[in-house]
Formats: sequence, structure tokens, C-alpha cells
Amino acid sequence: MNKDFRKFPPEPLAPVGFDIPRPIQARLDNGLRVVIFEDRRLPLVSYRLAFESGDIADPPDWSGLASSVSSLLTQGTENYTSLQLAEKIERLGSSISASSSDDFTIVAASALSLYSTEVLQLLAEVVLQPTFPENELDLYRRNTVEHLKFQRSQPGFLAGEQAARLIYGEHPYSRVSPKASDIEKLDRNVLSKFHAAHFVPDNAIFIVVGDIAADEFLTELTALFGEWQPQRPESVPFDPPQLRKARSLTIVDRPGSAQSNIVLANLAVKRTDPDYFPLIVMNQVLGAGASSRVFMNLREDKGYTYGAYTRLDTKRLTGDFEATAEVRTAVTGESLKEFFYELDRISEEKAGEEELQDAKNFLTGVFPLRAETQEGLTNLIVNQHLYGLADDYLQTYREHVEAVSADDVHRIANKHIRPGEMAIVIVGDAEEVLPQAASYANTVEIYDTEGNIQDTAKYMGSDNEAPVDVTGKWALNIEFQGQKLPVSLTLAQVDETVTGTLDTMLGNGKISEGRISGNKLSAIAKSEVQGNPVEFTIAGKIDGDGMSGTITAPIVPDPLTFEGSRQA
Amino acid sequence: MPETFKMPPLDLEEYTLGNGLRVVLNSDNAIPVVSVAVYYDVGSRNEREGRTGFAHLFEHMMFQGSENVPKAGHFQHIMKAGGTMNGTTSSERTNYYETMPANQLPLALWLESDRMRSLAVTQENLDNQREAVKEEKRLRYDNQPYGQIFDLINEMIYQNFANSHSTIGSMDHLDDATVEDVQEFFRIFYAPNNAVIVLSGAFDNETAKDLIETYFGDIPSQPLPPELDVTEPEEVAQNYREWEDKLAPFPAFLIGWKIPPRRTPEFNALYLAGKVLYDGESSRLYQKLVKGEESVIQLFGFTDERRGPSSIFIGAIPKPQKDLSKIRETIMHEIHDLSAHGPTAEEMEKIENQLVNDAVRMRQSSMSRAQQIAECALYDGDPTVVNRELDDLLAVSREQIRNVAGTYLNTENRALLDVMPVVKA
Repeated sequence: MNKDFRKFPPEPLAPVGFDIPRPIQARLDNGLRVVIFEDRRLPLVSYRLAFESGDIADPPDWSGLASSVSSLLTQGTENYTSLQLAEKIERLGSSISASSSDDFTIVAASALSLYSTEVLQLLAEVVLQPTFPENELDLYRRNTVEHLKFQRSQPGFLAGEQAARLIYGEHPYSRVSPKASDIEKLDRNVLSKFHAAHFVPDNAIFIVVGDIAADEFLTELTALFGEWQPQRPESVPFDPPQLRKARSLTIVDRPGSAQSNIVLANLAVKRTDPDYFPLIVMNQVLGAGASSRVFMNLREDKGYTYGAYTRLDTKRLTGDFEATAEVRTAVTGESLKEFFYELDRISEEKAGEEELQDAKNFLTGVFPLRAETQEGLTNLIVNQHLYGLADDYLQTYREHVEAVSADDVHRIANKHIRPGEMAIVIVGDAEEVLPQAASYANTVEIYDTEGNIQDTAKYMGSDNEAPVDVTGKWALNIEFQGQKLPVSLTLAQVDETVTGTLDTMLGNGKISEGRISGNKLSAIAKSEVQGNPVEFTIAGKIDGDGMSGTITAPIVPDPLTFEGSRQA
Repeated sequence: MPETFKMPPLDLEEYTLGNGLRVVLNSDNAIPVVSVAVYYDVGSRNEREGRTGFAHLFEHMMFQGSENVPKAGHFQHIMKAGGTMNGTTSSERTNYYETMPANQLPLALWLESDRMRSLAVTQENLDNQREAVKEEKRLRYDNQPYGQIFDLINEMIYQNFANSHSTIGSMDHLDDATVEDVQEFFRIFYAPNNAVIVLSGAFDNETAKDLIETYFGDIPSQPLPPELDVTEPEEVAQNYREWEDKLAPFPAFLIGWKIPPRRTPEFNALYLAGKVLYDGESSRLYQKLVKGEESVIQLFGFTDERRGPSSIFIGAIPKPQKDLSKIRETIMHEIHDLSAHGPTAEEMEKIENQLVNDAVRMRQSSMSRAQQIAECALYDGDPTVVNRELDDLLAVSREQIRNVAGTYLNTENRALLDVMPVVKA
């Protein structure tokens, strides 16, 4: 080696094969499918009893039923109270939990393999004999209704709710959370009925990964679950969601928001679609990580946001593709421009060989990391079997990723992203957002945070109003942790364009992107703090010689409110 | 039941390079992944008065580039190779680690050695990272409800400056730092003879040794850092303090006790006493306060493990309108009961099973193995201690737990911090 060997990153060693052995598969007489993976690395065991009934199995008039059943499964059984169950499980140093997703409900348990029998018995107790006790149901109702209220304050939830509605329409994937009224009317009877209909062996897969012997496990499993009566629930067919025809803009108005929460969404594919591998490579190039294109553009280059990403959600029946970012309100329009630039670019131009290889290296590299722990390995096996992926899926994952070419990425980006037909959802201050975003879509609709549609015209007004005069020196106080920090704004104005300076104790900033619309001021002040650029985003409302509003800076997590007046 | 259980020992090879860098190799080929952990023997305990926050500032500096790795290059190189990474600072040490596909071991070693050899300690990077640390302090401490309470209670518990001051440090001190101060700090504490490197995962020992010698072998050693005195009198510095937290939505309190150093039988017994009191839904305080009285929103407890005098904490955020002193009475009553009767047989069984379960789970990932080994190598001077940690904890008796609860968890030895929300006018 010459002495310059440190100048460049070293070549990797020879690739190391990663062989995940194939599991043993069996089926009990009652139809329960069984997948057994002997993992002898450590004395641990992981159980998953998964049902092919998830939230989309909720009756149309009773949302939240599947998730309520899974939440209450561990809160009382024929033989034990909620407390007794907790004690029994913890006494073994183990855990048992249940949860539902769109397509599935999974009951999970893990323990030392020394206690594999005891924990399996507790798992059987919870799955076969839950009682949904009245007192636990009562507590669950109260907590859940509170939680449903709380999540309407979260912009991420509001954006996701609209995006799902716009993409999935009448399809039950459009429902992202239960209605409070459906939770309030829950009773033990309806929970038991749902449980009886869906928690049946021929609707389930039992997956075990761990330090166990397959034959002994099968004997135990048969003893506990063999008498369980099959009666597969009728699967209700759903009409597939329609492809979108045009670009639309949906704004959820949160007056006073300092940030716009942007989601650009389109229908994509189901988990078993042959385009899956090209899509995950494309997504890695485009936006899945912190070295992907949209992050490098919107955050690293433009500084509009802390993070900008794209995401692929492939479910059992279909799926969606989303691009998301939380950006400062004043750059909402600019952010849409950059997002569509990147979405168009990946659809129109082939990706470079180097970035394609970086993306594939990341995906193949992290794959074995996901199988390091037994929980991680179990999740890989569970997904493989629930989605009905090929028997050699885990063994050939890395080959499939490596096989993706620049042409494949180009082809499927073109086929699935379709920037011209995307749903644009923005949660933010509608009056500020609308003028910036309206030109990006063919249609516009505005909702409030409760999900009620609003009259769009009501938000158009301010553009027509003559701008007020903001010229002068303004003495303002910023509220910061209970203290008032004085700053001053010196402004000049030509029509709707505002220039000037922001003076603070930390230093002075020059106003850019200053704009007055009606009585609303929006501006960015670029300042330097010890040689580092810091941008303050100002949103003010002028009332004669008074001004109030918010100042946002990346160095403080929440917008700071200010008020003050024009100096004589 | 776990008496019959024997944890398989980790395969360890330990040696020291010519320049004093301690190396521990834990080869385990189950999954083609390798983790590298570099632990520097420098934490906030090594900081002098007037120079606090340096250890943590350095954690930031270590991502600012070195001779052959540009600023932010560390992260990019690792991402593109399919790896993950991070770095953290505590009172005891500063650590850096990455988990990589097994064949990318040379890349990880190249990156770690380049910054150990040639970190870019420049005025520009210093200014830049000082500001980043200030942002971090605002975000994680000043601007979070209850964000400062652990720093405050440490000042109440410890009398020795090395122990009592916070890891985030004083922003004034960081402002006073010159680039020469920081270069000197780097020279002394980031020397190979003040560090431990641990590899865990899929690799061949001989290949790893060659690579480590190639990349780290000629980094010059330095005189050892000055001796450190972390001894403490038994009494806490301050028994009671009331703190107005402008961001806290509810009152809360935190109780801290000064206890003997990690690895002592007393510390181990107190760690288990804590599990009986606050660990899990079937723990005594959870059952009394969250379920029974329904008086608290959140209950928490943990031990802060140090080479010198350590501490144990119990804290609670009560539900609105609940009487804080009554909740504290319940806590002290349960501690008193534990010191009078010791844990029940059922509780001992639960503790043993949880200890074994936790220990086995920790063995699963190469990263957690590397970190545990590095702590033993650095703090105990012997990485093989990792193979008997569990046995030491399982050997703790009911009688020992009963005794330490009475000796240490009393009101005289206790620091109580009351957190009061500021009522807005």
C-alpha cells in the first residue's frame, strides 16, 4: 500500500453471502397455517398469530371495530383479569400485545425459549377466550375518544386523512381513523361478534421464530389450537380505486400555521406487483433517504425544510406513493415547484449510474441489518407470508434489487408517479397558501380541521384588497419563554413588494421575499449569527399602526408570537 | 428456574496496538453485519471549571470532517454503503459507532481512523458547531417541558464539580473557548491510548487485525490525561429545591439519591430494588399510583451508572389536582416496606426472568454487544467482565435488596426537586 491509501475510501471486502434458511410450513386440520423457523442463535422465541382481517373488515357503519377488538384482547379473559394477565406475562420476563392495520390483525408474543410453552398458553388464552370486560371497555372508550380529538390538532394526521380520501375514494383504505361516534356506541356484544367472525383458524397464520424444536412446537400448538372451529369469514370484494385524471389542490385551513404540511400523492401498486423492486429503487433515488434527490434539493440546497421525503406504501390490495415535507409558509409555492421539478425529472430522464448504484447499495446493505435481531427477522418472515410473497423472497431480495436497471426505474417512474394527476394536499394557513399554490392544480377545495368543506371564495378576497401601507419603523416585542425580546422592523414598500431590515439583539437581517397582501405581511429576514446564516420567517397582520403575528426560525421549534406598533 | 440457565460466553480477543489503542474483537458470523464502536475515555467528568460542555462539543466536531473526509462526508459514506451510525456523550465517555454490511469493515475503520488522526479542528468548524450546540440546548433542554430537571438534580446530589455539572455545559464557557483550547482537548483526550475500539459481528480476526494496524497503527500516542478525582462525601449537596418550569403543563417532582459506584454489590442491589419499585406494569409503584390511586399520569425511575458515585431516581407527573406530597408518601411508604420485608418470592422470580430476558436480547445485535464490551473494557479495564455481568446480578439476594433499600433510599440522603409550572397572568 502506498502512503496515499488514506486519500480515498477503501474498496469493500468480498461480499458475504446472506442465507436465510427456508422455514417449515404446515397446516392444522382446522385450516390454521403454520410457519416454523428454527432460529437457534439465542434462547429466545417470537410468536405471531396473524389474521387476514384488518381495519378494512370493519362494517361500513362501524369504523374502529377491528382496532378496538385488538386493543381489548389483552384486557381480560375467561380465566384472568387485565391485571392478572400483566402479572403472569411479566413474571416470565415476556410480552404479549395485539394490533390491527389496514389488512391484518397481529397478536405478538416474545419470551425466553425456556418459557415457550407458558407464553404460548397465555397467547391462546388471549386469542381464544377474551371477555372484553365492561370496565376495561369503558376506559378504552374514554381514552380513544380523547385521542381522536387530539389527533385533529396534528397537521400530519389531517394531511394523511385528506390524501387517503383523495386517492382511495370509496375504497375502505380511504379511512385512516375511526369515527368518535362509532367508538362511543361500542358494546361487548359487537366486539365478541367481530371476534367470533374473524378470529378463526382458517383466517390465520401462526408464525414462530426461535429456539424451539418444530415437532414439539406443532404438538403443543395442536393441543391448544386444534379444537378451534374453522369458519372462514366471507371476504367482501371492494371495487378498486379509480386512477386519478387530473391534478387537484386540497387545502386544510389551519389559520396562523407557521408551516405548510405538503403531501403530493397518487395511487400506486399492491405489495405483490411485479413493479415492486424497480419502485423501491426509484423511491430510494428520488426521496426515501437523506441522500436522495428531494432531500438534497429542498433541504440541503434550498433550506425550505428540515426534511423532504418520498414514500411508497404498498398494501395488500393496492397502494400509494407520496412526497411529503413541512415547509415555511412563505415558501409553499416554491416548494411545490421544486417537488414537481424532481417528480418530472425522474419521470422524464434516466437516473445516473452512480446514484442508481448508491441507492441499490443502501437497500441491499441494510437488508441483513434488519435480520440481526429475532424480532427483525420475524417481521421479515411475517410480511413475506401475510402478503403471499414468493417462497424464496428473502433469499433473493438482494438479487432482485441488484437487477433493477436505469431503464426499469425510468419506466416505472413514468408509469406510476404521473405528476400531472397527483393530489396536492396542504395543511396550513389557507389565505397564505392559496395564492401560492392555486396555479399548480386544475381544481381547488378547502376544508377546515374538522373535515367540513369551506367556501373557496372566502379565501380569495385578500388578494383583491389594496395593500395597506407598512412603510416605517416598527417596534415589536417577541414572546420567548415568558420574556419579551425587543426587535425592530424598518420597512419600505413599492406596491405589494416590501424591503427593509430586521434588527435584533443577535444582529441585523435584510428582508427578502417581502410581500404585502391586503393587511398581511409575509417576509424572510436573512441574518447571520456568528457566521452562520439564520432565516427568520415573519408573518404579520397590520391593523393601523399596530402589527401582530409570528416569527419562525429553524433554531426554535415553535413559532414565536410578537406584537408592537409603528414608531411616530 | 433461570438457575439452570447458562448464558453462552461471548468470544473475545483483546490486544493493544503499539500506540496504546486497546482493541477487542468479538467475531460472530451469524449475520453478515459488523459493528464498530470507538469509545474515548472522556466525558463531562473530565471537564474543568470554566470549561464545561467541551466533551459534548467534541462529539459534534467529530462529524465536521478530517484530512480525507469532507464535512458531512462521514454520514454520506456510511449511508451509501448501507450502514447506520451515531455518536453520544455522557459523564463517563464519548462514543462513536456504526453498523455496516460485513464487507464494508474497511470503510468504517478508514472513517474512524481518519478523524482520530486528523480531525479538522478549525476556527470555522468551532464557531459553526458552537452554534449547533446552542440550538441543541435550546431545543432539547431549554425549550422542553421538564427538560432541565436532570441537570438540576445532579447539582443537588453531587458535591464534586466533576460529577455535578451538566454534559451539555455552559454556553458562556463554549463562547470563551479558543481554537487552541479545543485543539489541546483533542490532543489529550482523543489520543489512541485514551480510547477503546471494539468490533463485533461477521469478520475474520486476522483480517480485522491487519486493517486496524494499517489504519490506526501509526497515530501517535500522547501523555495520559491528568488523574481524576470523582470522590464524594456521603451527603447530598442540597436536600430540596423548587424549580419554576415555564413550559411544564403540570407540576412534577423528581427524587434522587446518591449511591455507590457501578459494579459494587450495593449498586447492583439498588438496581434491582429499582426494578421492584418502578419497572413494568406489575411493579409496586405502578400498581399503587397508576392503577390503584390513579393519581399519576406518568411514573418513571432509573439508575445513572457511573464509575464514581452514582445515583438512582424516581419521578412522577401527577394528574391535575392531585396532592404531590401524598404521592411522595406512597413512594416512601413502599420503599420503607421494601427495607422492612425485602422483595417477595414472586418479585424475585420476575426480576430474575427479566434480567435473563434483557441480557439475552442485548446479545442479539452486534451494536449492543460492541457497546457492552466497550464499557467493560473502558470502565472495568477488562472486556471479559461482559461474560459475568448477568451472574453477578442474579447472585443478588433478597436480603441485600432489603438492606440497600434501608441504607440508601432514605430521606436524609435524598434530593427532592419540585417542579412548578408558572401560572400565566
